[in-house]
Amino acid sequence: MSIAEETDPVSRSRDTAAIRRWLRGYALLSPALVVMIAMLALPVAALVLLSFWTQNGFELDRTPTLANYASLVTPSAEPTIWFGIPFYLSYPVPAILMIKSIIMSLTATVAVILLAYPMAYFLAFRVTRNKAMWIILITIPFWTSYLLRVFAWKIVLGFNGAINSGLKAIGIIDKPLEFLLYNPGAVTLTLAHSWVAFAILPIYVSLEKIDRSLLEAASDLGDSRLRRFLRVTLPLSAPGTIAAALLVFIPTVGDYVTPTLVGGPGGTMIGNLVQDLFLKQNNAPLGAAVAIVMMLIIALVVAIFLWAIGYGRIRARRQ
Amino acid sequence: MQRIKFIDKMYQGKLSRRQMMQAASAFGVGSLFLPRQARAAEVLTCLEWGGYDAPEYFQAYVDKYGAQPNFSIFAGEEDALAKVLAGFAGDVMHPCNYSVARFVNAGVTKEIDTSRLTHWPDIFPNLQTAEGVVWDGKVVMAPADWGNSSLAYRPDLMDDDFKADPTWEIFYDEKYAGRVSMSDNEIAITIGAMVGGMPYDEAYKLEGAALEAAAKEWGTKAVNVSKFLWTDSSEVQQAMASGEIIAAYAWNDLVANLRGQGIPVEFSTPKEGMFTWFCGLTLLNTGKADEQAAYDFIDAWLSPETGKTLIEGSGYGHANMKSFEIADPEALANMGITDPIEMMKHTIVFKTPSDAVQEGFNKVWADTKALKY
Repeated sequence: MSIAEETDPVSRSRDTAAIRRWLRGYALLSPALVVMIAMLALPVAALVLLSFWTQNGFELDRTPTLANYASLVTPSAEPTIWFGIPFYLSYPVPAILMIKSIIMSLTATVAVILLAYPMAYFLAFRVTRNKAMWIILITIPFWTSYLLRVFAWKIVLGFNGAINSGLKAIGIIDKPLEFLLYNPGAVTLTLAHSWVAFAILPIYVSLEKIDRSLLEAASDLGDSRLRRFLRVTLPLSAPGTIAAALLVFIPTVGDYVTPTLVGGPGGTMIGNLVQDLFLKQNNAPLGAAVAIVMMLIIALVVAIFLWAIGYGRIRARRQ
Repeated sequence: MQRIKFIDKMYQGKLSRRQMMQAASAFGVGSLFLPRQARAAEVLTCLEWGGYDAPEYFQAYVDKYGAQPNFSIFAGEEDALAKVLAGFAGDVMHPCNYSVARFVNAGVTKEIDTSRLTHWPDIFPNLQTAEGVVWDGKVVMAPADWGNSSLAYRPDLMDDDFKADPTWEIFYDEKYAGRVSMSDNEIAITIGAMVGGMPYDEAYKLEGAALEAAAKEWGTKAVNVSKFLWTDSSEVQQAMASGEIIAAYAWNDLVANLRGQGIPVEFSTPKEGMFTWFCGLTLLNTGKADEQAAYDFIDAWLSPETGKTLIEGSGYGHANMKSFEIADPEALANMGITDPIEMMKHTIVFKTPSDAVQEGFNKVWADTKALKY
């Protein structure tokens, strides 16, 4: 004890300094932390809990069970055929919609990146004056509500919509095209347009950060413009592009507003099923189970994607 | 100075309860101590069908309270029920004869004391005791509006074969794919089974494997043939007005509205039958507003003036006999039958399925729609 007491003053002041630093860090973090716990962690925990209960008519049976999860994978001898693929499941709807949503979202993500990359490239390399104004111009779509942007597509693609009446006026068609609205294509198109603005900024930032002398060096060493782009610009802008892809893919898989408005029954996505289970079929526990499986599958898809493009190597190179 | 004096007095114990209360209420604290009735009344909250939130349907309530109640709009009764079960504090809900039992069974309704409704004696006597108005011996719904669900079509665009013999079959016939619109409702399966030759009395209570088979055959056809499944009546009215669709599952208001715009439209009687429904107002026990406000709102709905608006505006019938005396004779002539009981004799009245059957229908209908591609 006596030895400890002798060394106390020094170590105590060091300890208190560390604790104070630690507290200050958490104090700075606390507003975000409180919001994250209250608005994200607790609801997700509630969802997990709910998914282990079962709905019995109007009553909620609180005995913990895996029945909801089991019902998603219960096999059936008689297959449900969807697009020629047999699903040997007794409740195939969640599985089918999950696959369909991922395909639709991936298509939308690829379209978004293809649209956003040239715009970001132009912004980073060609625009020299009034950059701020260009960036503000790009954010203009954000000034209107998401719902309005989706609804606008309903008007553009509709039976008497802009495309149909335009083509009719020119005389290319004599009766309106019917395949424009209420199908997965319309949903994918609308998603791509609504999310493109979210993708431009991260790509732009990573393009802007590229050291221009690297590009000069590549040219001096004899690279053509295409090779220079493929070997220098593209790899160096990968972090922003990956961020943009994730930013678009993750929220669009679970989207339910867009399919509701422009999808019709054919454009249904997994989010619609979750909404229907919660609000129409009065089976919140099953809805919760579907939502959690959806989260896990999205996480898995993202992990596979990052592994496939070699994200580890990209990170290692940057360090 | 005022503040310091107040604190001094409080320390000295010279403050009267009244002064204390006054000060507290200035900060909104006082309301916690006041008796419940003395508080500013909560605004009435109603769960309503889209379109029924217009003040002309409850003018007497607006006149008395000087403001409209709050509305939450639903597309189908099951949506509204799920919302109430999830904790939505509604005072009044607008179900129909075939759906009110779901709310009663879920335990969210209150019995209606008909002596508190001044217009109750003028309601068609047969409606006062009809199933759905009375459930388990208690009045649970004050009947207000009634009408038909049938097949509306554009005679100028429809082919003559159909016009000679109208049938629900067109909603399940590939020949009409993309030119008709069914309602986004599980009734599509019931009607399909009827097209297949099953009487309504069996088709409305299909269960288990029989229901799944009907959904697979008729539900899938309905989903594939329909251009879109409509969820709000303005959507289907616009599509019908533009000629995008030539036939739809519809209520009387579609015919009234399109004819009002000068568009030719017929409300047919398909050979499988047309349907009759009557809807009304139910007291929910989840509400926070004063019960008297809820009764005033229901009473306003039962008034003959509301009936006149309903008859002239949308071609629906009303439960109050007096509304037919004051309505425009031309509108009455357009309606055809003006006695709900007479109407029910000639048509199929929607029936109340059991909770298990309704839940089964909800599930297969959602699954059928999800599997379309």
